[in-house]
Amino acid sequence: MSEEVKSSSAESNAEPTATRSAAPMWIIVVTLTLLFLGFVFFDKHSGWFDAKIYAPYSSAEQLENWQPQSGPAAFLARGKKVYEQVCGICHGVDGLGKPGQAPPLAGSEWVLAKGVNRLAHIPLEGLTGTLTVEGKEWNLTMAAMGVQLSDADLAGVLTYMRSSWGNKAGEVTADDIKKIRDAIGGHPQPANGEQLKTMPE
Amino acid sequence: MKNGFAVFFAVLVTLGGSWLGFVVAPAIQLGTAKQAAILNSTDTWPLQRTGEATLGLQVYRANGCAACHTEQIRQDSVMAEVTLTSLGKSKPEDFKAFVQSLFVLPELAKVTNNLAATLKDWKGELPATILTTDDKAMADAMADRLKAAGVKSETGIVAIGADIPRWGVRRSVAADFLYDYPVQLGSLRVGPDLADVGARLPDANWQLLHLYAPQIAVTNSAMPSFKFLFEVRKLGAAPSRDALNVPKEFAPAAGYEVVPKPEAKELVAYLLSLRADAPLYEAPFSPVTTAKP
Repeated sequence: MSEEVKSSSAESNAEPTATRSAAPMWIIVVTLTLLFLGFVFFDKHSGWFDAKIYAPYSSAEQLENWQPQSGPAAFLARGKKVYEQVCGICHGVDGLGKPGQAPPLAGSEWVLAKGVNRLAHIPLEGLTGTLTVEGKEWNLTMAAMGVQLSDADLAGVLTYMRSSWGNKAGEVTADDIKKIRDAIGGHPQPANGEQLKTMPE
Repeated sequence: MKNGFAVFFAVLVTLGGSWLGFVVAPAIQLGTAKQAAILNSTDTWPLQRTGEATLGLQVYRANGCAACHTEQIRQDSVMAEVTLTSLGKSKPEDFKAFVQSLFVLPELAKVTNNLAATLKDWKGELPATILTTDDKAMADAMADRLKAAGVKSETGIVAIGADIPRWGVRRSVAADFLYDYPVQLGSLRVGPDLADVGARLPDANWQLLHLYAPQIAVTNSAMPSFKFLFEVRKLGAAPSRDALNVPKEFAPAAGYEVVPKPEAKELVAYLLSLRADAPLYEAPFSPVTTAKP
């Protein structure tokens, strides 16, 4: 160190010039690490600079979760959520069904029926045997997926089915479902297409 | 000049970066802001100010109110509350046993201690807030369970923070300032925050008296008197309609009355127009009923 100082003072008359030399590797590593940690912090706390998001939220989904739920929009949103969790796995999020696995709901005459009685029997009792949907015959078994859903949730799901993907049919209320559920009683047997046809709409 | 291009480029990046950050980015974020919908309502927020209140903003500005008062309520977090409103047919003891039977549920594991502590000293008084949690889904799940058991409850959303509820029920959001020009955010809290003062202290007469002599309303107030916004004039045949009812120790000499000048009325109209009490998408709240049935 001291020798360097001596030598530089000896050459002090010379014009100093900047030279190019590579930055030490540790500076690059530290910089990149800090940059990475900065982005992690940014991702967690910035809410991506959305004007609607400040503390205490860090994403739009979080903020959405806090919205008070009431009214028809919330009812339909709840129905959509339950549909996507329970029904959409087989019938598709787009309601088009899956060949050989589940018939379509979009445009299906069973979904669009005037009343909801036949439609509600399917998730509440299950379905087995042949059923004609949009002119095509299906021979499958569906479990009674709707039994464990609450009346309000099932009503929301059926309302969502009847008002999405181009379907335009009436709303289903929790009271409708309660009546049908009470009429079915405690231990439902899976229905088949012929039985469904004999039921009132 | 050596490295002329490099210097030019560095200046361009520095100034351009600041311009992007301080001008363009805020304009993208908030430049298109317009009236927002109030949650669970067909009304919009905020309302355009009346002419008097718009003039009052300039009085507020001219008198340097923003030097001591802020107009921004801050919030730390938000909590969901489940409040019992009716036990239906069950008795308080049955209800306690029912809640204890829920403790095995994995989704309630995080709040069982909380619930047990709340219910320990509860003897059936209603309405009772039994659960406060930062997880709205959990509060909703609890409310669903209670509904299935025939117990009526409400889920409320409340804002939490040092400013709440003493200065407002929710934080200030950009929409609150839509019709303020210039925005009087303030940065120092010598006095209380005024973002929600119109809802907090809605009495115009109180506001006028407080401006005339703040110590009338708040004994130890550090606020200076704004007597120059009022006219002390000789009593005519009868007191004027606008005359203030000033307490004795602050009242002018006998035979005189205190009448607010237009500036005082405008300032009060502006203060009463300052509200932050409507639930919005970005600042939701739904306080549960606290009134007894």
